Amino acid sequence: MRNLVHPVFGERGIPLKSKVFHYVIMIIAIITLNFFLPRMLPGSPIATLAGEEAGQMTEDERDRLMSSYNLDKSLGEQFLIYLKNLVTFQWGNSYVKKQPIVNLMLQALPWTLLLAGCNLILSTLIGTLLGAASAFLRKKRKDLPIVLILTLLSSLPVFWIGMVLLSTFGVKLNWFPIYGAYSMFQNNSWFAAIGDVLHHLALPLFTLVITSLMTFFTTSRYSVLKTINQDYVSMARVRGIPKKRVQFCYVMRNALIPVFTVFMMDLGYILSGSVVVETVFSYPGLGSLMFQAVSGRDYPLMQYSFLVVSIMVIVMSFLADLLYKRLDPGLGVKNEK
Amino acid sequence: MKNKAIGIVGLILIAFIACLAIFAPLIAPYDPNTVVGPSYTKPSAEFLLGTNDVGYDIFSELVYGAQYSLLVGLTSAAIAAGIGIVVGILSGWFGGVLDSILMKITSFFITIPYLPLVIVLTAFLPKGFISMSLILGLVSWAEIARILRSQTMKMRSREYILSIQAMGVSHWYVIRTHVIRELLPLVTYQLILRIKASILSEAALSFLGLGEPTIKSWGSMLYYAQAKDAFMTDAWLWWVIPPGICIAILSFGLMLVGYMIEGNMDPEMEAAV
Repeated sequence: MRNLVHPVFGERGIPLKSKVFHYVIMIIAIITLNFFLPRMLPGSPIATLAGEEAGQMTEDERDRLMSSYNLDKSLGEQFLIYLKNLVTFQWGNSYVKKQPIVNLMLQALPWTLLLAGCNLILSTLIGTLLGAASAFLRKKRKDLPIVLILTLLSSLPVFWIGMVLLSTFGVKLNWFPIYGAYSMFQNNSWFAAIGDVLHHLALPLFTLVITSLMTFFTTSRYSVLKTINQDYVSMARVRGIPKKRVQFCYVMRNALIPVFTVFMMDLGYILSGSVVVETVFSYPGLGSLMFQAVSGRDYPLMQYSFLVVSIMVIVMSFLADLLYKRLDPGLGVKNEK
Repeated sequence: MKNKAIGIVGLILIAFIACLAIFAPLIAPYDPNTVVGPSYTKPSAEFLLGTNDVGYDIFSELVYGAQYSLLVGLTSAAIAAGIGIVVGILSGWFGGVLDSILMKITSFFITIPYLPLVIVLTAFLPKGFISMSLILGLVSWAEIARILRSQTMKMRSREYILSIQAMGVSHWYVIRTHVIRELLPLVTYQLILRIKASILSEAALSFLGLGEPTIKSWGSMLYYAQAKDAFMTDAWLWWVIPPGICIAILSFGLMLVGYMIEGNMDPEMEAAV
C-alpha cells in the first residue's frame, strides 16, 4: 500500500512534452499565487506597507505611497508591472534588512544549497542502506529495533531535535558553534576556512539527517521486501549464486528505483525541513531569511523567499524527472497495465 | 500478533495524550495564562515543571497544549481526508475529462513545496484555530486523492462490481455501499498519517511564531523558549524537553497504530513492522 510510483506521472511513461508542460504550468501558477498573496491580506495595503506610521499619514502621503507601489492602477496593470519587475530582478527592498531582496537571496542561496544538498546525499545513502539491511534481517525477525528507533526519530519535531542538540553540544559541551555558518573576522588559509564551514555545518546537518532518514528507510525497506519474494531472487539462490551477490546485484538494483522516486518527491520536503532547522541554528540560508521576514512582518521578503524556494523545488523535481528515465530503462514499457 | 501488540501500545500512547486534553481543567494545577509564580522557577512540588520567563506554570501549559495540538491535527486531517476522498473517488470512478481536470489540480498540490506554502499562507491570512486547520487541510489532501483514485480505478474493473452495475443500480449506490466500504482501511491509514503530519506542521508553524499567540500549543511554548534563549540556561531541561516529548508520544503512537492498520491491509508484508 505504500506509495512507490511517481506522484504526478504514475508508472506509465509520459512524453517529455507533457512533463515540461506540467512544470511550466506549475511555475506560472506559483508566480500568479505570489502576486495575489499580499492582496489577500486583511486590511488596507497602506497599513501593511507603512506599518505603525499609517495612522499619522496625511491623505497626500497616502496617495503618494499608493502610486509609488502602483496600487492606484488596475489589477491587470499591476500584474504586468509585477511580471516585468520579476523578470528584470527588480524585486524591491526588504523592510527589515533595508537591502535589495535579490542581494539577500543571492547571499542566502549557497548556504541553503550546501545544507540541503549534504542532507539529501547523506540521508538517502544512510536511509537506503539501513532500510535494505533491516529488510534482509527480517527473516531472522531481528529488524524490529531498527524500525522502532527510526519511527521514534521521525516522530520528533525537527526543530526540537535542533534545540536539544544545540543546548547539549553547542552550549553545554561547547564542541560546536551555536550560531551562523562561518566565523567572522578570520583570515585563515582556505583549508582552515573549509574546516570552519564544516564545523558550523555539522549540527544543523546532523539534525536534518536524523529526521529525513525515515522516508528513505521505509521506502527502501518496503521495496527490498517486495523484491526478495520474487521468483527470480529465489531462483538465483537455488542456482548457487552467493548470498551477498544476490542481495546486491539481484535485489538492490531493482529495489532502488522506487527509492529514487521518493528522492524526487522529497526534494521539496527536504528544503522545507531546512527552513525550520536554519532558524534554530541561525544558519544564514533562505530558511532563516524567511523566518526573519515572517517575524518582522516583511511581506515582500516573505513573498520572494517563497517564490525562490518554490521555483527551486520545481526545477529540481524536473531535473530529477529527466534523470529518472535513464535509471529505469523499462519505464513505460514493462509497467504498462 | 506482534502487529496487534504494537497497535495497542500506540493506542495507549494516544489515549494518554487524549486524556490530558479532555481532562485538562482537572489535571492542570493552574490556569496556563496566569502568572502564578516567579519567573524561571525550577521544578518543585509546587510547580511540577517549573515556570517560564513570565511565571506561567509550564506543566499547566503543557496539559492545555494537548487540546490544541489534537484539535488542529484532527480537524485538518479530516478536511484533507474529506477532499481527498471526494476527489479520489470521483476521479477514479468516472474517469474521462473530470478525471483529467481533477488530476491536474491534484498534481499541482503534490508538486508545490508544502512547508513554504503553508508558511506564507499562515503569514498572510488571519491567525487562529480555524484558519490554521483550514490551511493545513486544504494544502495536504492531494496525496490521499491520488492514492484513493488508483484504488478506485482498480475496483471499478472487478467482476463483482461490474455484475452489480449490470443489474442497473446507480453509480452513487455502488460507491456508497461498496467502494467506500472497501476503501475504509486505506482511508483510516491515510487519515492517521495526516493527523501525525498536521500535528508536526502545527508545531513547526507555531514554533516559527505563526500561531495565534494567545493559544497554548506545544509549538508556541517552544517558540517562546527559543525567543528567550532558554537553551543558553538550565531552563531548557524543563521548558524545552517536555513539549517535544509530548509531540513525540502523540506522533509515535499514531505511527504505531498506522503500522497495525497497514499490516491488516497487506498481510503478506505484515506492514513495515
